[in-house]
Amino acid sequence: MLGKLIKYELPAMGRKLLPLYAAWAIAALLLGLTAEFSDSPSDFMLAISVILYTAIATAVTVISIVMIVQRYSSSLLGNEGYFYHILPVGTASHIGTKLISATVWVVITMFVAFLTGLLVVLGIVIAQGIGFDEVMRGFKLMLEINYPEHMWLYLGEGIILMIASIIKTIMQIYAALTIGYQASNHTTLASIAAFILLLVFESVVGRNIMPSMVSVVFSANGVIDFDNIFVPSILISIAFSALYFLICKVLLDKRLNLG
Amino acid sequence: MARIEIKNLTKKFGSLTALDDVNLSLEAGKIVGLLGPNGSGKTTLIKLLNGLLQPTSGTLEINGNKPGVKTKKTVAYLPDRDALPDYMTAPQLMKMYADFFLDFDRARAETMINDLGIDEKQPMKKMSKGTKEKLQLCLVMARRADVYLLDEPIGGVDPATRDYILRTIISNYNEDAVVIISTHLIADVESVLDDVVFIKNGRIVMHEGAEDIRQEKGESVDKLFREVFKC
Repeated sequence: MLGKLIKYELPAMGRKLLPLYAAWAIAALLLGLTAEFSDSPSDFMLAISVILYTAIATAVTVISIVMIVQRYSSSLLGNEGYFYHILPVGTASHIGTKLISATVWVVITMFVAFLTGLLVVLGIVIAQGIGFDEVMRGFKLMLEINYPEHMWLYLGEGIILMIASIIKTIMQIYAALTIGYQASNHTTLASIAAFILLLVFESVVGRNIMPSMVSVVFSANGVIDFDNIFVPSILISIAFSALYFLICKVLLDKRLNLG
Repeated sequence: MARIEIKNLTKKFGSLTALDDVNLSLEAGKIVGLLGPNGSGKTTLIKLLNGLLQPTSGTLEINGNKPGVKTKKTVAYLPDRDALPDYMTAPQLMKMYADFFLDFDRARAETMINDLGIDEKQPMKKMSKGTKEKLQLCLVMARRADVYLLDEPIGGVDPATRDYILRTIISNYNEDAVVIISTHLIADVESVLDDVVFIKNGRIVMHEGAEDIRQEKGESVDKLFREVFKC
């Protein structure tokens, strides 16, 4: 059932984000082209391109956050809950679906942000008339750099930590919404208050357990051993995510009262 | 075994008691009218049967199970509001229903949608309130469920559609199912009801056969309702 739910949930968020991604990509290319053709930083076209790129980037960020909140609150705590909660699916699957879908779209948004950076460079490359061979030579040079030992391992751990942090933040938002929903009125205010309380809770717990788990250790060649930072941080994020998931599940199972 | 068994059910919202020690047993093969004025507890009872609300005390069972994943497989519910995702069209919703409910009959749904002249290309958000209600009802009645919980199914539609809906309810439900229609439009539904449950201030004040009321009391359900709930 989780797969079926995800099949319908992914497009629900994507329908608003996909057109923005396309607009963002065009704005990035335009920025690259105008940046190179521009004679001075105050050039009108360049200024317009920068404003356009920044505005779309902001819109994508804001809409991503709004969609994360809105998909959860309307589907599980609002009017659409009258439809979703009558499907023969457990609450864990409902929460899991929202989490997976939101995580996928946040990761895609970050990837698109990276791609738009490349498109800015591509715009400059086109404007400067740099050939494909030269670009490929540049890539080869990047690969030939003598990177520090374990760089790929640390990169992998860093990516896992980033995804774990995204999941933790999304679950924190969901937990705050579910706790806030328990209030008899002013549920939005209650959710914001719950989110702040969860932030304080995380910071207090984090301050107590982080020093015992995370330590900055230097390896024999004098480079920081990131294993001692990344791995405990990933475990802490997973622990918080599990706690928030449990809060959502228990409240939806035992205290669901759709108004 | 009763299709629906409710024992000593109480539901409170803060200091307000919406349902007060309700006991009710409903057998299969009946169309039951859950009748009462606004705020009497009809919707609360239906939401409790769907697991959308949690009881303060007491128990509810559908086919011997508490409301949950198992009961949701066999309960078809029409809520009293627009609940379907507003960006979806009728074919998308039919596909979704077919994905989640094994008892969903797509051909039956398509027939009803065509009969009611619903534009299949329009997303929900572009439909009128009445059309949304019709589409929701088509999807619900196209299931071959054990229990149908219809909360105000005729409240927001025109009289012609009202007749179609009532005909659909009679013709589509099966002998093994129980249909609960919650409404305060008694005169419109009276002809299709087998049983009548009067609910007042969160309490069941009467549960009788519609025919028994007419024969024994010599008056229509609508008239009796007006007497019982006289302001």
